[in-house]
Amino acid sequence: MKVMTDPVLTEAAVLEVLRQVIDPELGCNIVDLGLVYSVAISGQNVRVEMTLTTPGCPMQQSIASGVQNAVLGMEAVADAEVEIVFDPPWHPGMMTEAGRAMTGVF
Amino acid sequence: MPSAALPLQFILTGLLALAGGVGWLVAEPKLLTEYHYNPRIIALTHLIVLGWLCSAVMGAMYQLVPVALETELYSKRLARWQFVFHFAGFAGMVWAFRVWNMKQVGQFGSLMAVGVGLFVFNIARTLLRAPKRNVIATAIASALGWFSVTVLAGLSIAVGKCAYESLDQTAPVSAVGGVLGGLQAVGGFMSHCNILSAMHAHAHLGVIGLFTMLIVGVSYKLVPMFTLSEVQSARRAMASVLLLNVGLVGAVISILLGSPWKFLFAIVIIVGLGVYGWEIAAIVRARKRAALDWGVKGFLSAVGLLAPLSLLAAVLAWPGLPSNVFTGQLENLYGFLGLFGFVTLAILGMLHKIIPFLVWLNTYSWRVGRIQVPALADLYSARLQGASYWLWLSGLAAAGAGILFQHEPAVRLGAVALGASLTLSAANLVRVLSHLVHPVLKPFPTRAK
Repeated sequence: MKVMTDPVLTEAAVLEVLRQVIDPELGCNIVDLGLVYSVAISGQNVRVEMTLTTPGCPMQQSIASGVQNAVLGMEAVADAEVEIVFDPPWHPGMMTEAGRAMTGVF
Repeated sequence: MPSAALPLQFILTGLLALAGGVGWLVAEPKLLTEYHYNPRIIALTHLIVLGWLCSAVMGAMYQLVPVALETELYSKRLARWQFVFHFAGFAGMVWAFRVWNMKQVGQFGSLMAVGVGLFVFNIARTLLRAPKRNVIATAIASALGWFSVTVLAGLSIAVGKCAYESLDQTAPVSAVGGVLGGLQAVGGFMSHCNILSAMHAHAHLGVIGLFTMLIVGVSYKLVPMFTLSEVQSARRAMASVLLLNVGLVGAVISILLGSPWKFLFAIVIIVGLGVYGWEIAAIVRARKRAALDWGVKGFLSAVGLLAPLSLLAAVLAWPGLPSNVFTGQLENLYGFLGLFGFVTLAILGMLHKIIPFLVWLNTYSWRVGRIQVPALADLYSARLQGASYWLWLSGLAAAGAGILFQHEPAVRLGAVALGASLTLSAANLVRVLSHLVHPVLKPFPTRAK
């Protein structure tokens, strides 16, 4: 899932930063929503594979560029790539308990 | 940065027209307690239908159709030009109806028709870009077709009431002579139709063909999106759109000809609406999001109003219905609940979601990930939305009872409640729009850099 070459740049650190990106309709960050599928780190490059709650989500561009902004804001990152995928499709089972509490999704 | 200006200018124009229409009802509640074939009520109806509903629908469609079909709008420039024709056209038409100058209705209507042509062309080209051909695209394409027919029918009715005396002074072989000859031919044909039947057919074309069809189609995308659900049966969804189309063709022809077959076609439309309600109920039952916000509640209440409206439609389409004062009031109630109930409540419900989204997109979209931005729900007051929702329903009930029993004070009371509801919505709107000028931004609690 990830290749770590820099001890500072870890998957956990990237995920922590991605908690700053919210889905504005649901009012919850994309990590607790379960939208982030994988974080791959190669040197100073980060690749995030993620999904959205629905295909054709009008927030797609905002969220994708938000993820890129957040990751590029990390000290050790030189380049960030975001790929939106819909396979597998998102379902509420992918949310964390915190995400469920924030959104009222069951 | 995406711009909210284009859809917002249509939507805000529409809301002003709605406020004007409700104010008119407060001042003249008698409009709804007497038979509807008179200049003032026809002017008011066109203020609501063209000024409010068409403006709001056009603005929302410029934003939503690309979203629903996962593509880009064909031309924003055409949309900006369309606004000019639309505004001049509907404002002039309302005034011309008020003073009952049918020639000027035709002239301003032609201006409006140019705008509608630009709108239909722009959305149709956008549809052609869409990667998917599904029930949503079918409903939107149907609505565009019905919109064109509605406008042509309206212009034909206006032409039918005019005398084109200038025809004799124009060479028949010239282009102008040809157009005038064509108009006279249309006028001659329309003069053989019952004017009330033509007006009722025109109204059904617009309300069912354009507004209902659009609401049905777009909601198959938006309701699942807002409730975290999905369409439960694509065949059922498509059946609802097809039944509406088939029923409307038959209903319009039978209304125009005064045929008793209109009852059968009314039933076809009612079955289509029933299938639609069934699918929406299934979508909502399958939702993953427990709480429904006021926008969705408003929309679902509008869908619920289809039940009494369908009952009224069946009664009014009954061939043996006597033509008396009470029947006239039932027709007024039917029109009022259709426009201020179903269509307006559905659109207001969607606007509770669309306007904050447009403002957020304009103000915060490009800042995500750089700084802490608010969620959509932080832009407005849910309490104000709730109060506005209940006031609107109360207004519908009071005015509806007043129409049925020809009780002017009840109609006025209802209109005052509708006005109070709009006032609360306006306060909320100001709150939302203030984010365009004063964004609420906070630094992240901790940053990696």
